[in-house]
Amino acid sequence: MSEQSITLSVEQVSKSFDEFVAVSDLSLMVRRGRIFGLIGPNGAGKTTTIRMIVGITAPDAGRIKLFGQLLTPELRDRIGYLPEERGLYKRMKVGEQLRFLGVLKGMDARAADESAGHWLERLKLEEWRDKKTDELSKGMQQKIQFIATVLHDPELLILDEVFSGLDPVNAELMTGILLELKDRDKTIIFSTHMMEQAEKLCDDICLINRSRKVLDGSLREVKRSFGRRTVVLRAENFDGGLQNSPLVAGVKSYGDHDEALLREGADAQELLKELIAGGARITRFEETELSLHDIFLRKVGEAA
Amino acid sequence: MKKFLAIVKREYLQNVRTKTFVISTIIGPLLMLGFSVLPGLLFGLKTGGATQIAVVDQTERMYESVRAAVMRPDEEDETGLPAQTPGSSPAGAAREAFSVQYEIEETPVRGRPLEEIKRELSARVRQKELDAYLILPPDILQDGKPEFYGRNLGDLITIGQLERRLNRAVREQRMKDSNIDAEQVRALTREVEMLRCKPGERCDAEASSEGNFFLAIGVASFIVIAILMYGQLILSAVVEEKTTRLAEVLFSSVRPFTLMAGKLIGISLVAMTQYGIWAVLFVAFALYGVAAAAASGFNLSLPSVPPSMLIYALLYFIIGFSLYATIFALIGAMVTTEKEAGQITVPLSMLLAVAIYLAFPVIRGPNSAYAFWVSMIPFFSPVTMLVRIVTETPPFWQIALSLLIGVATIALMVWLTARIYRVGMLMYGKRASIPEMLRWVRQS
Repeated sequence: MSEQSITLSVEQVSKSFDEFVAVSDLSLMVRRGRIFGLIGPNGAGKTTTIRMIVGITAPDAGRIKLFGQLLTPELRDRIGYLPEERGLYKRMKVGEQLRFLGVLKGMDARAADESAGHWLERLKLEEWRDKKTDELSKGMQQKIQFIATVLHDPELLILDEVFSGLDPVNAELMTGILLELKDRDKTIIFSTHMMEQAEKLCDDICLINRSRKVLDGSLREVKRSFGRRTVVLRAENFDGGLQNSPLVAGVKSYGDHDEALLREGADAQELLKELIAGGARITRFEETELSLHDIFLRKVGEAA
Repeated sequence: MKKFLAIVKREYLQNVRTKTFVISTIIGPLLMLGFSVLPGLLFGLKTGGATQIAVVDQTERMYESVRAAVMRPDEEDETGLPAQTPGSSPAGAAREAFSVQYEIEETPVRGRPLEEIKRELSARVRQKELDAYLILPPDILQDGKPEFYGRNLGDLITIGQLERRLNRAVREQRMKDSNIDAEQVRALTREVEMLRCKPGERCDAEASSEGNFFLAIGVASFIVIAILMYGQLILSAVVEEKTTRLAEVLFSSVRPFTLMAGKLIGISLVAMTQYGIWAVLFVAFALYGVAAAAASGFNLSLPSVPPSMLIYALLYFIIGFSLYATIFALIGAMVTTEKEAGQITVPLSMLLAVAIYLAFPVIRGPNSAYAFWVSMIPFFSPVTMLVRIVTETPPFWQIALSLLIGVATIALMVWLTARIYRVGMLMYGKRASIPEMLRWVRQS
């Protein structure tokens, strides 16, 4: 990979608060024009990692390079950061608020106004521009905060739980915007513990748990490297057939269907033969890769 | 720099545009006026017209002179001095302007027993035909004691004035009986007025005015009021960014120090705007007041203040304000809610009250060791050093030293606060303990 294509590199970074180790020996590489998912359970060290990338806290050890340079205050203007804890000035008008936050990112007041106008229109909030922030609903405030993040057209976007609190319509709108930003060669770091969202959007992921990196790579590689497959099955007349099969490592029964995790090296076709031989009537049989959700559960569960 | 100015501007505009600011700017001076002048005015204000008094003169020759003395205004008191010295308190001037009016009538004795007259007069007092009656005993010129029977014995101003004037009448009568010229006695016993001056300075009635002292106390209370009012504002501005989690967004754009400094300066400018408006109003009002008083014959004069005094006052105002403002910002970064902050700010406000109390011994001995040390402590020096400068200007090096200590303390506090700010503003959920904060200072 050339230096050019790497937006962010985190090199062997550690951070502790007193006795508590928040991040230990973490290395990441985020490529330009990709959506990078930073996933992990609560308290894994995601927010601390992000805060170090944004320059709010300094690492105890290791280096963080942004656009090929060590982090400087000037470089921070090229980042847009949406923290998990949302906040806006309650008694300030939406337009003034966006202008202020834009200027803090190094924009001219006029450029900030223009960009704010564009985004308010895009998110269908233009009539709220002169309203005070606390007159807006939670979801609207969320969108205003997102505008504040992208207002200065940053090259790197860091979004912490961007979908929380959005209804399906707005979540869809947001997804569209993120994909469009990606098409415009922006880099997006996306932190979440909602695996469905991550699975849908991310090109690359990094799973951290208890301050350490558990796995990383492109989503496809990660899934392939896991190798294990699951079978989604709906059938009649096969009681016990799944659990007892030597090919199956575990079964989860849902109301509508069962999900069987295959043993390493097991072939799904063999399982199908086995079941039919056992007299089962199969109405659904689908071989899938492990979902990110499952990978997450397995990896985090293993450690626990 | 652009970001810093944006923060200052936002903080300033957000606070100046509020209704609270507009209202407090208008109401502030009214309240001040109210608290300083109104009680005097109200106390002196005799409602319901003239006080009607009947005099029972058992000497049968004092009535006329008592009546004359009571009706004559107090412009010349029994001391022979003008009752009001020029430039005295506005309350005094107001009291004079609203002085009591009397209507005096004589109730002749005509050989009737005193008891009967008293009964009759008491009845008239009850029926509100009279406010009071005064009985002059036959031996009043020796050591007889006159008796005042009034419906309202709580009206201390009226009764005190009456007693004073009655005294004057009796004394003058005694002199007359002894063939002494009252006028001459008054001229001979006139008191001397001592001018209070500083060595090496012009000395006349004006220079000796105690205006400077009032200026020092005035500036001191200005500092205290400003700190209490605006400290609260700083505190809530900081706590707002903490509770709304804005700090995290802001810290990704600017350094904590820039944010904190911008906030402090923005709010200081708000304070200066408000105080500036008040100062203009005050000067206008004072000039108008003096002009109006001069037009109606009162010789009020504004206390003259040397410019050096004004410069020192401004310097100590800035130092005191900045120091405490920084502390309020620090508290804001430490706590999670404004309510919690209250527990810490109360003792801080007490510290300010202590500064004023400490200033009183300084007035008595402005060059004592006590005064020296007290005026070197930066938390107190804006009050104590100012008082020293006014009462007995200390050597310049002492003033410079105390200013220097003040500036150094502010620098230290700003440094400390900036470090705690970064960590504190991102801590939610619980108040920081002192050991925790010390760790933050070492860490960041």
